[in-house]
Amino acid sequence: MVNIGRIDMIVIGFTLLALIVLVGYAQPLVIAPLDEYESVNGEVLFEFERADVLLIDDNEDFTTPDEYRVVDGLIVVLEPGIYYWKVVGVLKSEVRKFTIQSKVELKLVETEDGFGVVNAGNVRLNVDVYDGDDLIEKRKIEVGESVKGGDKYVGGQDE
Amino acid sequence: MLVVRMNKRFLFLLIGIFMIGSVFALGVTPARTTVDFEPGLVREVEFEVVNSGDQDISLRLSVRGDLAEYIELSETDVSLSSTEGSRKFKYIVSLPNELVPGLNTGEIVISEVSNGDVSAGSHVKAMVAVITQLHVYVPYPGKYIETGMYIYGSDVEAGIRFVIPVVSAGEENIDSVRADVDIYNKAGDKVDSFSTDSFSVASGAKKELVYDWTSDVAIGEYVARAAVVYDESVSNLEEVFLVGLKELELLEIQVDSFSLGQIAKLEMLVENKWSEDITGAYIEANIKNAAGVVVSTFESAVHDVEGLSTRIFTSFWETEGVDVGNYDAEVSVHYAGKTSSKDLTFEVSENELVIIGLGYVISSEVPAGSDSLVVVLIVIIVLLVLGNLVWFLFLRNKIKSK
Repeated sequence: MVNIGRIDMIVIGFTLLALIVLVGYAQPLVIAPLDEYESVNGEVLFEFERADVLLIDDNEDFTTPDEYRVVDGLIVVLEPGIYYWKVVGVLKSEVRKFTIQSKVELKLVETEDGFGVVNAGNVRLNVDVYDGDDLIEKRKIEVGESVKGGDKYVGGQDE
Repeated sequence: MLVVRMNKRFLFLLIGIFMIGSVFALGVTPARTTVDFEPGLVREVEFEVVNSGDQDISLRLSVRGDLAEYIELSETDVSLSSTEGSRKFKYIVSLPNELVPGLNTGEIVISEVSNGDVSAGSHVKAMVAVITQLHVYVPYPGKYIETGMYIYGSDVEAGIRFVIPVVSAGEENIDSVRADVDIYNKAGDKVDSFSTDSFSVASGAKKELVYDWTSDVAIGEYVARAAVVYDESVSNLEEVFLVGLKELELLEIQVDSFSLGQIAKLEMLVENKWSEDITGAYIEANIKNAAGVVVSTFESAVHDVEGLSTRIFTSFWETEGVDVGNYDAEVSVHYAGKTSSKDLTFEVSENELVIIGLGYVISSEVPAGSDSLVVVLIVIIVLLVLGNLVWFLFLRNKIKSK
């Protein structure tokens, strides 16, 4: 005598198991960057599997994401800030968060008539230029730009 | 005495040589730390000072700004060697029970200090200081929003995206916020209106109102006036944006009666995609050899191009000394402070110049990975469904009836 109820259970169980395996197989695998990753380097390497679209946004709802269609080993250059990212294949991946830390850096360079500084950080700077104790100029300089004409330079992030 | 003076000159010469060869760089990260105000909040904030130069430096840390009296530094005088590279420091911010609503700032200034050592050159070179900022946002009484409007794209048929971020900067939550947007043309006539969806925003939170605007309005400049309505209040915004592109595009290059060694006449057709005239445009072409070095350059005369029309720019290329072969060419249209460039290939033969690269659309390759995965998944799911149907509708009944 064949136990039909037992076969029903086997069929249903196998179907459910197969669906679970399928969903697991179709779920994109996100490898890097790790969740809560922080760096001052704006070049971020993304690694993931079973997905071909990368979405990056500065808000968790992904209302205005930057979309990258990629194959492998994509490097995206980003400005300092907090970002959320996920990938999309057949299914969507988990959402991860990472931070590009802002960095102020002034590099002293020799000029024809003295010294100047180059913005070697990753944000636009407000630089106060002093001659002795006198403030002689306030300048906004972009990353890579320089300012000269003083003997003391004080730099902080612009608004 | 003379010997001493000579020694001093020699010493300063040595210092100068030392300075030229050395690198001095001072940095700090993060550039800014942002904190939401809480009465009596005490928080430890960490920052990292970076010495990426090749000199040891002495530093003084000091505090300034509105929040200076609430900031306590863990250290004020430190030395940082070039081999150490960077070091982490902390400060403690102890906020009072009340601060002025809005943005309150403090600055930690990290200054290089002269250590009095002449051999290190510190008396000769300039001094550098960097700042890490502390921003404390204090909620405004009641309901208050900070907002702005950002407009992306220029293709109104595909959709121009309006993004209005809303920060609830008041003490109370915003129950409902939406934006009513009116679009005006350059003559000041209203051409369209739309409203975004509405949502609530908790105090201190940020959300974005997003709307993709499609229309059949003409190419040109428009003004968007948005009324951001939050509960019983309104905040007004205005932004100018473009429908269509204010650009000149090189469409084709015609070359007739080419003979190598002679002056070739190139007629280049340019389209003005903008609704108004673009003045003072000209075309520049740079022909490069296999090593990428520019071997020949020619320019057209300057012309104005009427709005939404085409115009032919004529250039002459002296081909004496040019060999038969393929050349990479960068052809650039200069106009209104902008440049639109195309990378082309000039195939030069004795009696023909073929220009390759115009009229082609290079599209990015869409990977097929997920498509094949979809097919595999669909096949497996179909097999599962069929298996279940076969069992429950046929086999099961057949076995049961036996």
